[in-house]
Amino acid sequence: MSVTRDEVLRIAQLAELDVDEDTLPVLAEQMSRILDYVAQLSAVPASETLKPYVPGPDAIRFRPDEVNPWPLAAGPEKFAPAFKDGFFVVPKLGQFE
Amino acid sequence: MSDAKAVADRLVKAKRLNALLTPPGELRKSLQLQAAAARPTGVLYGMPVAVKDNICTLDFTTTCGSRILEGYRSPYDATVITKLKAAGALIAGKTNCDEFAMGSSTEHSAYGRVVHPLDKTRVPGGSSGGSAALVGSGAVPAALGSDTGGSIRQPASFCGVVGIKPTYGRVSRYGLVAFGSSLDQIGVLGRSVHDAARVLSVISGRDPKDSTCEDRDPLRLPTVPESLQGFVIGLPREYFPPELDPAVRRACDRAVRLMKELGAAVREVSLPHTPYAVPAYYVIAPAEASSNLARFDGVRYGPRFDGAADLRSLYRSTRGQGFGPEVRRRILVGTYVLSAGYYDAYYRRAQQMRALIAQDFRNVFDRGVDLLFTPTTPTPAFKAGEKLADPVAMYVSDIFTVTANLAGLPAISLPIGRAKGLPLGGQLIGQAFLEDEMLEAAYALERVVPATDEA
Repeated sequence: MSVTRDEVLRIAQLAELDVDEDTLPVLAEQMSRILDYVAQLSAVPASETLKPYVPGPDAIRFRPDEVNPWPLAAGPEKFAPAFKDGFFVVPKLGQFE
Repeated sequence: MSDAKAVADRLVKAKRLNALLTPPGELRKSLQLQAAAARPTGVLYGMPVAVKDNICTLDFTTTCGSRILEGYRSPYDATVITKLKAAGALIAGKTNCDEFAMGSSTEHSAYGRVVHPLDKTRVPGGSSGGSAALVGSGAVPAALGSDTGGSIRQPASFCGVVGIKPTYGRVSRYGLVAFGSSLDQIGVLGRSVHDAARVLSVISGRDPKDSTCEDRDPLRLPTVPESLQGFVIGLPREYFPPELDPAVRRACDRAVRLMKELGAAVREVSLPHTPYAVPAYYVIAPAEASSNLARFDGVRYGPRFDGAADLRSLYRSTRGQGFGPEVRRRILVGTYVLSAGYYDAYYRRAQQMRALIAQDFRNVFDRGVDLLFTPTTPTPAFKAGEKLADPVAMYVSDIFTVTANLAGLPAISLPIGRAKGLPLGGQLIGQAFLEDEMLEAAYALERVVPATDEA
């Protein structure tokens, strides 16, 4: 099967990828070659019953559904403009007489 | 305990390989700090371990060999890095690789190609080519890599070193920049089976931060066996096709003879769906990549290239300019096979094929075979530029390695001879979570095989 220039553009749009006009013909040709190659898979009769493979532990373990404190990658003092004694330092909002 | 300065000197001396992305000044400084802080009781105390640049480190940038992550510094260490540091190892810089681990030659890096340590006109393999070249040149005893379709074993074979891809779920992937999440595993390249196995045992084991990592204790190292008495080794006939490079065949024949002499029973077996492994892989891996790489859009990750009129054109120009040609190709192929109308014809078929390939292995192992022995690659290291214009020719060089990823099995490549001076690798594929058995056989074979003799 061969992929047309327009198909490459449509797929590139789906993939949120700018594609150069100059590279389009080569890209269309290479994609066609790749898709032709993987199309060998259709030589094996399709099966409705065969379950797709799932890697890893037989059943992914579920964690207990509870809220845990999760440490920040960097402490709050790293992204606050000013931090003192465990508090964010903010500008005074108003003055009272 | 090796001296931090000596470690840095050896790495800087290997500069001609373009295998290390960390600048020498930064490397020296970091190694000194790490050596001062390393725990003397750790089992890897003072051992320098270089790390592929798609594994997140606090101390160094993590670029994945891509322009889109140039200068990116991760806010955390990958679990494997935390474990290495806790064991007293020194993180010896970040190694060059194919962009986002997509490639088999380390020619697809935005930071230039890596040179083969024994022949500068050839490629070191990929995508963990920088790690393999550094270990092969003797600059470090071991390095971390990642293996999605052979990215540890193929470069290990090309560079004459040992490469282990563990069982899927044996090592935490937390902090590994995802390419094909159902296939990726972090593994080790080492000078010898023991060097690689030692590092593997440290980085393996449970991790609550990765739900696909099995709840198991770290791997225990087996002892070096006296013989291979009691081992049944299968030779899958699909891995020894008539067109196999004659030197590769001679090296494999010699290794098989040596294993028989050690007492192993050797049997021919069949994995009938092998011819469909590479096509299935090149549907599944790009499909997963197209989804995983969506986050590199100039907003969540990656620089913003100027001049975008709106958000979508910002995404498109960032991704269009930030990704290299191979990554772009795979994102497009992945998007294509997942798009409406093609999903059943490509993706579903490929997933079913994957189930059949995994079943092939189970059938063989159920009939009493302990391990499989195959060549790691169909040829020794090829010339730089030889396969760049033809992506399919490059993909086919993964033919003997992708099956272990598709079936989630552990596999090791070790040097078994040379062809006109270029290293050749032999691969042992084991049963899921029986790395210890696989390593025992590898230890025994390594001891007797003339790894640097012509085959």
